[in-house]
Amino acid sequence: MIEFLGIHPGLLFGQVLIGLINGLFYAMMSMGVAIIFGMLRIGNFVHGAQYMLGAFAAWALLNLPDLFPGLGLPSLNYWWALVLVPLGVAATGALTERLFVRRVYNLEHAYGLLLTVGLALVIEGMFNLWFGAAGQQYGVPDALKGGLNLGFMFLPIYRIWVIVAALAVCIGTWAVIERTPLGAYLRAATENPDLVRAFGINVPRMLMLTYAFGVGLAGLTGVMAAPIYQVSPQMGQSIIITIFAVVVIGGMGSIAGAIVSGIGLGVIEGLTKVFWPEASSTVIFVIMALVLVLRPQGLFGKETQAHSGTDISVSRRESILENGRIWLPVLTVFGGAILPFIVYPVFAMKILCLALFALAYNLVFGYVGLLAFGHAAFYGASAYGAAHVAAVWGWPPELALLAGVALATAIGALFGWLAIRRQGLYFAMITLALAQIVVFYAVQASWTHGEDGIQSVPRGTLFGLIDLGDTMNMYYFVLAVFLIGFGFIYRLLRSPFGQVLKAIRENEQRAISLGYSTSQFKLVAFTLSAMLAGLAGGTKALVFQIASLADLHFMTSADALLMTLIGGVGTLLGPIVGAVIVVTLQREFAGYGAWVIVIQGAAFVFFVLFLRKGVIGSLEDWLGRRADRKREAG
Amino acid sequence: MTTDTIIQTRGLTKRFGGFAAVNGVDLDVARHSLHALIGPNGAGKTTVFNLVSKFLAPSEGTITYNGQDITREKPAQVARRGMVRSFQISAIFPRMTVAENVRIALQRPTGFSFSFWRGEKVLTALEDRVDELLTSVGLIEWRNRTATELSYGRKRALEFATTLALDPELMLLDEPMAGLGQEDVHRISDLIRQIRPNRTILMVEHNLAVVADLADRITVLARGEVLAEGDYESIAANDAVIEAYIGGDID
Repeated sequence: MIEFLGIHPGLLFGQVLIGLINGLFYAMMSMGVAIIFGMLRIGNFVHGAQYMLGAFAAWALLNLPDLFPGLGLPSLNYWWALVLVPLGVAATGALTERLFVRRVYNLEHAYGLLLTVGLALVIEGMFNLWFGAAGQQYGVPDALKGGLNLGFMFLPIYRIWVIVAALAVCIGTWAVIERTPLGAYLRAATENPDLVRAFGINVPRMLMLTYAFGVGLAGLTGVMAAPIYQVSPQMGQSIIITIFAVVVIGGMGSIAGAIVSGIGLGVIEGLTKVFWPEASSTVIFVIMALVLVLRPQGLFGKETQAHSGTDISVSRRESILENGRIWLPVLTVFGGAILPFIVYPVFAMKILCLALFALAYNLVFGYVGLLAFGHAAFYGASAYGAAHVAAVWGWPPELALLAGVALATAIGALFGWLAIRRQGLYFAMITLALAQIVVFYAVQASWTHGEDGIQSVPRGTLFGLIDLGDTMNMYYFVLAVFLIGFGFIYRLLRSPFGQVLKAIRENEQRAISLGYSTSQFKLVAFTLSAMLAGLAGGTKALVFQIASLADLHFMTSADALLMTLIGGVGTLLGPIVGAVIVVTLQREFAGYGAWVIVIQGAAFVFFVLFLRKGVIGSLEDWLGRRADRKREAG
Repeated sequence: MTTDTIIQTRGLTKRFGGFAAVNGVDLDVARHSLHALIGPNGAGKTTVFNLVSKFLAPSEGTITYNGQDITREKPAQVARRGMVRSFQISAIFPRMTVAENVRIALQRPTGFSFSFWRGEKVLTALEDRVDELLTSVGLIEWRNRTATELSYGRKRALEFATTLALDPELMLLDEPMAGLGQEDVHRISDLIRQIRPNRTILMVEHNLAVVADLADRITVLARGEVLAEGDYESIAANDAVIEAYIGGDID
């Protein structure tokens, strides 16, 4: 047998083949994401869940008699699924657009993403409840069983079929969009919806059909993937992050670009599996980082004009709720004399850690208007850093915490430097994808101990004097850390730097014209936010004496978002209120498995649709109205 | 190095796809002059303006400022060199107070802007200058109001105060009279006259009465190219200009 670079050709071609198939799936998915973003300006995070829906629907059709015994339903095979499932998933897409997505078109991009994150969590959580985390098998259809023996490798017929069919779908979609009158309307509506409306086209219906079409593509991808991968509730969540990275690399500019970058990246991923298996899960994200440095607008993206940040802060400047001079002492007294005596100190510490994490997140999301979506990377990296130096090197807690914070700050500066090149939704996609690199690193590195994480972290003796093994000592240390973080943020917001941040948030173009290099200010704010998130994560590692993959997980980033949203984006106290609510919810539903995910997803949807200002923002509104009434009366 | 020309463009071109919005524009703005850029709709005035202020990158051509090539510089960099622009829609910070709007500009040269650890107090030294500037534009009694509460004309005045806070050598005004009533037009005209000494102003403006009143020199653009240049009398008598403005509002 001939070998190439010491690699068996069967292995090489086998991985290239898998890479090609994955790449075609990436292409089909990212086309959908790009079309939906182009037309609706929605970053469709639920795309992964819709792909999972397609795979499960195919599996359910095959198992109809078992799922609904007594109804005399037939078992519908792969070919039925290939026709029915995309239509069915597209129909759920149309319904989703009608009920949910349509309501956020006129809001900031951030809300579209938050809404679809919520929908994805609800769908994935429900499937987890119904089917458990374990995967279902979906057999290769009879007609496509078997394979060709090429001598150096075995080529399964099903994979040939997938390549041919997926290519046909890609080319067909490209032709419809670039070469037909319908596609011309679609492209025109992307540029100028009002003009297209003037042509007498029903734009709302067109938007609904566009969304349904993109979602239908995800459903079709799910059916085609079902015989290759395990059909499981988690299959969507990992692919959507990769798809976002593919979209950042390709740029949203063209359908052809999405196809070429999808396929290309799939093949590169396959080749990496052969030559450097450890890197295969991160190679796409690393390429994304390189593209951002060399060609920020993406390989096929067009040069876009600078886009302003978003101002979604809901605070009123003169509100009593924004006055840290009042709240810092209040929090000190409440946290010192009341909180640990009305709830378990460990529970109170969890609230404090997560509240600090949310405060850190709110600094970039609420006060700078940057939709960051990967803060778990800083929280988790600091947890791992602090845990490692405390457990393995025996560092005292204060130094362990500093080490964790330093690690988080360094990673934050690097990620911020990369992500700051793009705005709005791209910023969310990039930070999400970069955070994924840290997850994969922690899965593979030896010092992080994979699935186990770093356990039995000693709490140690603070400054060689105070034994943190004692729960109340630990509690007061955590309270002090929290209050320092809170005071730091309050001071920052009122500092000269905070003034510039405010100016950038309110009118970035004008801030530039006054001579402020706004990117540098955003980068410093992002780095400080990462530092504070690290402070929260490192403290958490000492309290719970563990650093684990959960700290780095995308759900931890989503928690930060949810706490900020529930409490009130861009308010001083909102993240604290949000943390209390979310942590309490998590505790109450801890015994009910995936219900926690469903509830959190539903909370995203509810707050985006009905209570965008959150608890504190709504309270400030009420106070403001009351003050106005008083002023008028007096 | 100082020359009599503060800003100079050579062969300035901007293409959007295949369409050249600005095509080979040579512009010379003399120091301490008020130079107006006029032309019919779609002539490329705003594009030239955005190119000069660096908010757009040119496809071809060069831009020099005080003899230095700034073609590749970022907008914030040229602002720090002393070239400050305004915007068609009034450029204020709506939820900051009137005084804070001005202070944020005064703060920039202090070097405190990255000081996230310092309190607000370090900025109180700037308050006197803030009040001076607000007085000069007639906004002092509004100083503690939120900027968004101001009338449109007063927002313009606030924008002027903010720009003047940087004491710019060159002011770029993008249609300063757009959307203003007659009374406000007079007020802003007076303001421009007041700030002119020792400054250069490049202004895009539709209101030809204002241009006739204020401008030393006028460049007429049409279809992305320079159609004519001169003082108001020579421009008004130029056949090509009259033709370009047919149905327009030259009088």
